[in-house]
Amino acid sequence: MDLVLKLFNGGAGSLASYLAAHVLLCLLPAFFIAGAMTALIPKASITHWLGRHAPVYVSYPAAALAGSLIAVCSCTIVPLFAGVYRKGAGIGPAITFLFFAPAGNIMALAYTGNILGAEFAIARLILCLIFGIGIGLLMATLFWKDDLTHDAQADALFAEKASVSGPALGVLLSLVALLIAGTLKLWPLTADLISFKVPLFWPQAWQDTLFDWVPYDASKGEEGVSFQGSVLIALLLMIAATAKRGLDNITEGANNWTWVALGLTASTLLIASMRLTPEPGTLAFTFTGRVFGVALTMLSVGYFARKLPAEDWQGWLWEAWRFVKQIFVVLVVGVFIVGMVRQVIQPEWIESLAGSNTVIANAIAVGFGVFMYFPTLVEVPVARMFLDLGMHPGPLLAYLMADPELSLQSMLMVAAVIGRKKTAAYVGLVASFSIVAGLLFGAWVDGTGWLTLGAGMAASLAITAAIYQLIRYQRKQTAS
Amino acid sequence: MLNIKILGSGCANCKKLEAVARQATQNLNIQAEFEKITDMGKMMTYDILATPALVINEKVVSSGKIPTVADIQGWISTAQ
Repeated sequence: MDLVLKLFNGGAGSLASYLAAHVLLCLLPAFFIAGAMTALIPKASITHWLGRHAPVYVSYPAAALAGSLIAVCSCTIVPLFAGVYRKGAGIGPAITFLFFAPAGNIMALAYTGNILGAEFAIARLILCLIFGIGIGLLMATLFWKDDLTHDAQADALFAEKASVSGPALGVLLSLVALLIAGTLKLWPLTADLISFKVPLFWPQAWQDTLFDWVPYDASKGEEGVSFQGSVLIALLLMIAATAKRGLDNITEGANNWTWVALGLTASTLLIASMRLTPEPGTLAFTFTGRVFGVALTMLSVGYFARKLPAEDWQGWLWEAWRFVKQIFVVLVVGVFIVGMVRQVIQPEWIESLAGSNTVIANAIAVGFGVFMYFPTLVEVPVARMFLDLGMHPGPLLAYLMADPELSLQSMLMVAAVIGRKKTAAYVGLVASFSIVAGLLFGAWVDGTGWLTLGAGMAASLAITAAIYQLIRYQRKQTAS
Repeated sequence: MLNIKILGSGCANCKKLEAVARQATQNLNIQAEFEKITDMGKMMTYDILATPALVINEKVVSSGKIPTVADIQGWISTAQ
């Protein structure tokens, strides 16, 4: 019974820290951004550059751009991947797109930066970009024979040109500004500007009760539920209830519940950016620079959103709500389970397996990512747990790169498009490059000099280029 | 009879599209044969970039978004 209570508290404590203000300021805007990208960026605006006649230096970067801006969920990624492969520039850019989308989309990057720190997010972005293009190129050279058989009628798919409308761009940029305003830990956002106290007797008592219910251990990374945290949780529950009524049928038009849900969301963001501190007999409200930043950027979003045609903003809200339904519940459950598992795993196990930046440690981390399936975004809290338990950042990045790419479900779908042999080659390449990426990042964290790092990076790129040339040479040999 | 195909891999969007399409046929009191296509290979034979997609009598009328009931009713009427 004691163990059950300990597990439950571990789960609850972990969940509480994930529903804390700073995470909400990242996740809530991220869902809206993902929805906006899916609904407001016409696929044709980028896939146009992925046609058969696109030169290599256009189609590969375009594929990476498509991966980060167009696709967040596998139901968009896989059909687009199939389309680019069968009817576009072929397997290379298609693979780059497939690789970059789960790892390089803005939701994943924002959440990684929020929970693990900016270095991880930046490393994830840069290494995924470089290695994504590398893997695409290698796959293209390995399987060049199949690329020769293309449909002639395929060009129609890529002939369409489109651009992002003015208001849509305004909405997107304002949302990104909102995300930055909400999460950047920089002055003047962190400065305390206005502070006033409201005499209320119950906040202090309520906070004491909360700390009683969910005892927290700062050394284990648990934050406990503060008064402000409980207010935010209550708001989230209200948003869930009203959003269900207001957004489930938004494609038919908005109703009153829609505006209530949106209003509650805006209030949640504002309350998350201020500080509520209970003191004996009063409640202190502190407005930081962040409150004004968040308020201004939200007004900007509203300003541009009003200029969007009904079909566009309704589509945007529908997609955002769809992502929330798909991801948030699973994320909450996942975080709770991670919190429970955390109580059981001993740091010594993790440290002995992956505590230092060795090839074996990175390989183990990648293997774990391949064989353990976690839904989108859940790999981030799992990574946090490992980091707290003593995993070295190098293998951790290797895990972060391999896990979203290689879920069994998406691999099955990919195999349906390109066949099992190519899928196996892809899995092998992703695993190898993730290990290399982990080694490089781990070396950087360990303080290896830039010269050594640069040499290591150059070495791996040189090997990649050499393999690429070797395959091309062999191809020429067989052709003649 | 009217043939309506829903193309999608099974996520919330395609379910919604099917519900909306069924509502449209109900409103117009029309009999239609509904087919759900989740196989990637079959989906690729239709020129679409994104799911969910709606195909009425082998013609792709919408892809990548959820149309309104009124929109679908319009397409059905034209297809008759």
